[in-house]
Amino acid sequence: MATATMTFARVKVQRRFGLLLRVTIIVALLALASLPLVLGGDVWAQRISRAAIYAIIGLSINTLTGHAGQISLGHQAFVGIGAFTAAFAATRIGLPLGFGLAAGALAGMATAAIVGMVALRVTGLYLALVTLAFGLTAETTIFNWREFTGGGAGAFAPRPEILSGDRAFALLCLGVLALVLYADWRLVSTKAGRALAAVRNDERIASTLGINTTGYKLAAFSLSGLAAGLAGGLFAHWNQIVQAMDFEFQVALVWVLMTVVGGLRSRLGVVLASAFFALLPLTLPNFLAGLPWQPPFLNEAVYHVLPPFIVVVMLLVVLRFFPGGLGQLLRPATRWLTKGGKR
Amino acid sequence: MGAFFALGIFQGAVYGLLAVGIVLVYKAKRVFNFAQGEFGGVAAFAAFYLVVNLGLPYWVGIVGGLAAAVAMGLTVERVIVRPLESASRTIMLVALVGVALFTIAIIVLLGQPIPRVMPPLMAGTGLNILGAGILPQQLILLAVLAVLAAAMAWFFKTDLGLAVLASSQDTRAAQVVGISPVAISRLVWGMAALLGGIAGLLYAPVGIFTPGFMTLTMLVPAFAAAVLGGMTSLPGAFLGGIAIGVVQNLGIYLLGQQLKVPGAAELGVFALLMLVLLIRPQGLLGKEA
Amino acid sequence: MKRHQLLKVEGLSLRFGGLQVLNDLSLSVREGQIVGLIGPNGAGKTSCFNCLTGIYQPQGGRVFFDGKDVSHLPTHRRARRGIARTWQNLGVIDSLTVTENVMLAQYQRAGYSAMAGMLGLAGTWHRERELRRDAAEIVEYFGLEAVADERTGELPYGVRKTCDMAMALATDPKLLMLDEPASGLSPEEALTLGATLRELRDRLRLTILMIEHHVPLVAEVCDYVYVLNFGKLLTEGEPEAIQRHPEVIAAYLGGAAAEADEPDDDTVTLPAASEPPKWPLTAEGGSHGTA
Repeated sequence: MATATMTFARVKVQRRFGLLLRVTIIVALLALASLPLVLGGDVWAQRISRAAIYAIIGLSINTLTGHAGQISLGHQAFVGIGAFTAAFAATRIGLPLGFGLAAGALAGMATAAIVGMVALRVTGLYLALVTLAFGLTAETTIFNWREFTGGGAGAFAPRPEILSGDRAFALLCLGVLALVLYADWRLVSTKAGRALAAVRNDERIASTLGINTTGYKLAAFSLSGLAAGLAGGLFAHWNQIVQAMDFEFQVALVWVLMTVVGGLRSRLGVVLASAFFALLPLTLPNFLAGLPWQPPFLNEAVYHVLPPFIVVVMLLVVLRFFPGGLGQLLRPATRWLTKGGKR
Repeated sequence: MGAFFALGIFQGAVYGLLAVGIVLVYKAKRVFNFAQGEFGGVAAFAAFYLVVNLGLPYWVGIVGGLAAAVAMGLTVERVIVRPLESASRTIMLVALVGVALFTIAIIVLLGQPIPRVMPPLMAGTGLNILGAGILPQQLILLAVLAVLAAAMAWFFKTDLGLAVLASSQDTRAAQVVGISPVAISRLVWGMAALLGGIAGLLYAPVGIFTPGFMTLTMLVPAFAAAVLGGMTSLPGAFLGGIAIGVVQNLGIYLLGQQLKVPGAAELGVFALLMLVLLIRPQGLLGKEA
Repeated sequence: MKRHQLLKVEGLSLRFGGLQVLNDLSLSVREGQIVGLIGPNGAGKTSCFNCLTGIYQPQGGRVFFDGKDVSHLPTHRRARRGIARTWQNLGVIDSLTVTENVMLAQYQRAGYSAMAGMLGLAGTWHRERELRRDAAEIVEYFGLEAVADERTGELPYGVRKTCDMAMALATDPKLLMLDEPASGLSPEEALTLGATLRELRDRLRLTILMIEHHVPLVAEVCDYVYVLNFGKLLTEGEPEAIQRHPEVIAAYLGGAAAEADEPDDDTVTLPAASEPPKWPLTAEGGSHGTA
């Protein structure tokens, strides 16, 4: 949605024939996308918040994997630390929500930076292994540390008065998502984006052009952790309670797959795919219950594994037939709408 | 303490089996097989279904479980690995992560995510060594390992075995023996799946198991074991597994029982993995970095 | 007027395992010179470049640039002091367009921090437009405007090679290191290249160190030549003297027979199907069929 806003800005610069038509279409799409928020009541407001939070997580993984070409299978640790930090700040310290979110984001960034510093001494496949091991360790160690996370009972993260309504909270989440999208857009459009493209493709070429490759990879880790921590903070206040079981290792794997399905480096694709997988567990039971024929093996527990199942099937289809993901499928449309560059 | 030590050796042997499968795939394909744990998961659930649900004899369960694991290995090779041969290794890795998740989802869909208890292979109270009750189950494990080690030592001396080992460095080696690279690829994945299946069957009767138990609890220690062995050495990977098992259980004893740190086992493995990667990335027995 | 030494290398030694790639190599390049580095395959020329740019860490020897010891600086810090290079297998980023590649090469003079760019601070938009304008000028100078918005990965070898050169110049270097600039060119094009290199040297006050096999080009354009063989300096001198040097002739003939492989992945990757590459530095060179 916010991608469209940005492309709107780009379109404005162009002033060509057909501008009016494209602007109309973009506005219409935005209006259509905002319909659930306007008409859907609290149920849809909650869902939209969740979709926005997932989109931020997807963009966080995109920063690391899409832009810097590094892989993390332990992202649930960064999101979880952000969530627990925000909850801790809200209930134990009593900080206002904004500061709590900032603290969560910084905690996510610090953790990612530390992991990155260690992990960047190893490369490629080993990095995947280290992040996976770190995620599992964080899951069982930090998230079960009673003073910080409340142990198994979880940590509360109440919302302040002004954001207690689900619609107000959804607007906050969308606002943060818009900020993240803006930062991502400016990142790839300026020198850092080109530098990251070089680092991703060939570090030796990048370094002979004066680019500090280690610095950029570490920065990508930190930025990714920042966005993940921010998303974690929002998640804490969205759910109003954070538990260690919200951040199982499968979640991190689903996030990585969902980002690849959306299409690395495609903002619109990542946002759409993330939103889809955010809503899937919420809407799937209703959808299946509404079917005329009920598959015999369906039950509550099965709903829990259907999203991973679906993401994997989609991933395999994507890898086989259009490696650029959803973004690649949408590219002709987005290119026409923006008449901008090639990306 | 002695009990933890003995338990560590037993668990470590299972890690070692998985690690050997991981190394085998890595040597041939230069890819980290994140689906290795689920070969064991599939074997364990297939065996459970045959033995407990259908009431068939135990040996049918074992054969069926191993067959299911090998079938999965060959399917993964055909459907995922070969079509993605030219893709980047990161994409291949993501796809194998997908395979693991997919398998867990299938197991849950078919069998419900409830904990199960596999009956032990042999009943009885067992011997008392080092203050630990060594069950007949564990003695069987030792016997299985001895047979496996001998079989593998023999296999990798044969022309075919050498061709498998050389296949990543030199495709000509395979052609000299007169085997197509495709056959080698199938063989590697079949063997890795068989090893994973054995690990799963040995580990499942130890406690309760749930879908994904192999990936969740065994995969990272197994990778740590493979890294400890240098990623290229089969005996190194197995010894690495034993080392990881012992360190993990001593970690549980020292950190968990004495100091009450949550997640002591994971912490111990993570610390060891990082130490090896940072200090001696070529592993303890590895020849190349 | 005595011109000062821009690049000075003392006793460079590089080993890979048991293989001595470079053995006590010393050379120097004076400001404004065009210096050639020649030798048979496997002589260690590209390895030498990799040591000079900091990609390889030699076991022995020191590198001075502009009077300062840069031996222990990482690659990107050396690049920031003004060392630019081209690559045998081309230093272009395939997923970026030609213009973007040139803008990538302008990294050091973007004039804003990566953070400011990400936050979209006011100055960065303006600088981006300026960079784009500068890049367009460079693209035009190299006759690449027809393919400016094409991804380099989709372009023929010759065009990508030109783009590599454009990138090296866009870094605004003091020293330009060219790794086989004439490979894949016809003999006539190679001679045109010679004229272009001299023009660049004079107009941009560059210093050039180049690896080249094409002897007529070296003879025509270089002020001074170093000859490497098996990692050692065989001889050095003016091109005319070098061409008559019996050991050089022997080394080249012997090297051709031995067919030693350079212990380096920088082997020439000339796709068999690529169009005959052109060097479009001349006035009529800009007309590529790819537009």
